[in-house]
Amino acid sequence: MNSVVSKRRPPIARFLSTELLRRYGIFLFLVLLVAVSGVLSPTFLRADNVVNMLVQFAPLGIVVIGQVFVILVGGLDLSVASVMATAAVIATAFDGTNASAPAIFGATFVMCLCAGLLNGLLVTKRQVSPFLATFATAVVLQGIRFAYTQGSPSGNVPPLFHTMGTGTLGGAPVSVLMLAVCAVVFGVLLHLSTFGRRVYMVGGNAESARLVGVSPDLVRIVCYVISALLAGVAGLALSGYVGIVDNWVGRGFELDSIVAAVMGGLALSGGRGSLPGGLAGAAILVIVFNIVLLIGMPVQAQIIVKGVIIIGASACYVTRRLR
Amino acid sequence: MLSPASSNGNLFKHHIAPNGAAYAVGALLLVLLFAGAYVSDRFATLPNLLNVHQQATGLAMVALGQTVAILTGGIDLSVGSLISVTATLTSGLADNPYGGWGTAIAAVLVLSIAVGLANGFLVLWLRVHPLIVTLGMGAVLQGAILYYSTGPAGNVPDGFDSLAYGRYAGIPVTATLVVLLYFAVSFFMRHFNLGRYVYMVGDDEHAATLTGIPRARVILFVYAFSAVCAGLTGIYLAAQFGSGQPYLGANYTLASITPVVVGGTVLSGGRGGVIGTLIGVYLLSLLNNLINFAGIPSHYQLVIQGAAIIVAVSVNLQRKRVSA
Repeated sequence: MNSVVSKRRPPIARFLSTELLRRYGIFLFLVLLVAVSGVLSPTFLRADNVVNMLVQFAPLGIVVIGQVFVILVGGLDLSVASVMATAAVIATAFDGTNASAPAIFGATFVMCLCAGLLNGLLVTKRQVSPFLATFATAVVLQGIRFAYTQGSPSGNVPPLFHTMGTGTLGGAPVSVLMLAVCAVVFGVLLHLSTFGRRVYMVGGNAESARLVGVSPDLVRIVCYVISALLAGVAGLALSGYVGIVDNWVGRGFELDSIVAAVMGGLALSGGRGSLPGGLAGAAILVIVFNIVLLIGMPVQAQIIVKGVIIIGASACYVTRRLR
Repeated sequence: MLSPASSNGNLFKHHIAPNGAAYAVGALLLVLLFAGAYVSDRFATLPNLLNVHQQATGLAMVALGQTVAILTGGIDLSVGSLISVTATLTSGLADNPYGGWGTAIAAVLVLSIAVGLANGFLVLWLRVHPLIVTLGMGAVLQGAILYYSTGPAGNVPDGFDSLAYGRYAGIPVTATLVVLLYFAVSFFMRHFNLGRYVYMVGDDEHAATLTGIPRARVILFVYAFSAVCAGLTGIYLAAQFGSGQPYLGANYTLASITPVVVGGTVLSGGRGGVIGTLIGVYLLSLLNNLINFAGIPSHYQLVIQGAAIIVAVSVNLQRKRVSA
């Protein structure tokens, strides 16, 4: 009986049945998407369009890295968009010169630390569901933001942040370099360090992790802090990219980053998936948006295509285990 | 573990206070009432409380379906878009010379059931997490309704607004019917097989399948039910505002989940119930009302709402860890 149930698999998973394809399917999907997009639109692979996409990819990618950590320990972080917007508001809260940059970084760091700790402590010590804990943190931050700005932020973003958002360094956009640095640092942390193994252990089976001397609560809290800090970095970069700041910088990033991670093979139950997979999922989202614009689809069709791609790409990752 | 719907059904233990939530939330409700009476002498009056009752209708309706979806361990993130779709269609079709309000309501209900069955079918067939399926479905619905109209569509006929504002002997009719519906659903969940299967699928899906619970039927039912609740919310909002527009329901997706969890239903499924959600809805509705009465500037309202959610959920004595 048991084997009968566990061997029943959905048609798509049966089609993509090899382990290799399951593990690397998202990258294959990405390559196919690039190829199809290149055929559909001659402008797609032009250098300026690629750079354009990379610059859009950078903030989402940075947020997705944090989201990957949180999802791997069986959580999710809905507060990233609110953290981003709060970081952006902090960027304009000082005198708008580069001299204020250390103060901005310091204030953003403290804010992110508080948000991450609040999320982590609610989830671990009070056992609030991650969905609701991070949602409530988002609402509180949003409220603090509104109370501080009285509805409409004013002030200027220091030039340094404009450089972070739009500048280039040795020909490469600064924000993309920031993403690359974050990806390498946190990729090493996740896939090559002891802490990374602990993240997978806690996500896979918190009780056995505890039995071998790993503190699941501590690992979880650190993951939420990482997510908040990266969201803060992305918010600062985005504030420089957009140039002006409103209360909604980063709106939509919370769901987009979760969708990217899930498309990239991260299981919401925790313990399965990888950082490159999550980044590939984010790249797919950016490319889909870009290509539907390039081939001149109306905005309605863009939204529909996004919905279909979300479901379709996730369907490639279904595991045999019944949820 | 299949106890929630046991036939000697202890209503309070299993459906109202499965994890102590109702005590905490009930206490919060009392605190709010006393705080309100302290802040304003018009707060704890019957007319104001009846207003709170009326204002809770939309949220109560959509949260009912959401609760049942969450009880299976799923979630329905398409409700916001579906509310936008159904509200826009209601006023759009009601205003159409070939339509009329009867056609509009029939079309909305048929569409809602179709969307819900599609959600359920995709969850079953693709085995993708309901979070993703319903999020994608929400995007598809949002895009589709923007094809139909990019702004407010049509107007509801005269008298249609009584659906939202109608009162009988001073009591809001629709709001009261929704409360009765909650009790009916609570009864259904305890005494009908399908309702009890919902708890079993949420408690342990694998065990439920092994014991022969018709899981497919349960999943299709809960998403169809959630979609119908969202559709009815859309009709209600069209009546309330006189016209539907394609972003009317956007805030309801996450808002519909808050009262469910505040009311003690756990997101991993299997524990909680609709009566808890009803208490959660009234807690939030009362809180909004109180914030207005206290004369708190609107910029600070979100801080209080967020803090209230944190307090409400962190006093819940949830023992089962939740994955999504």
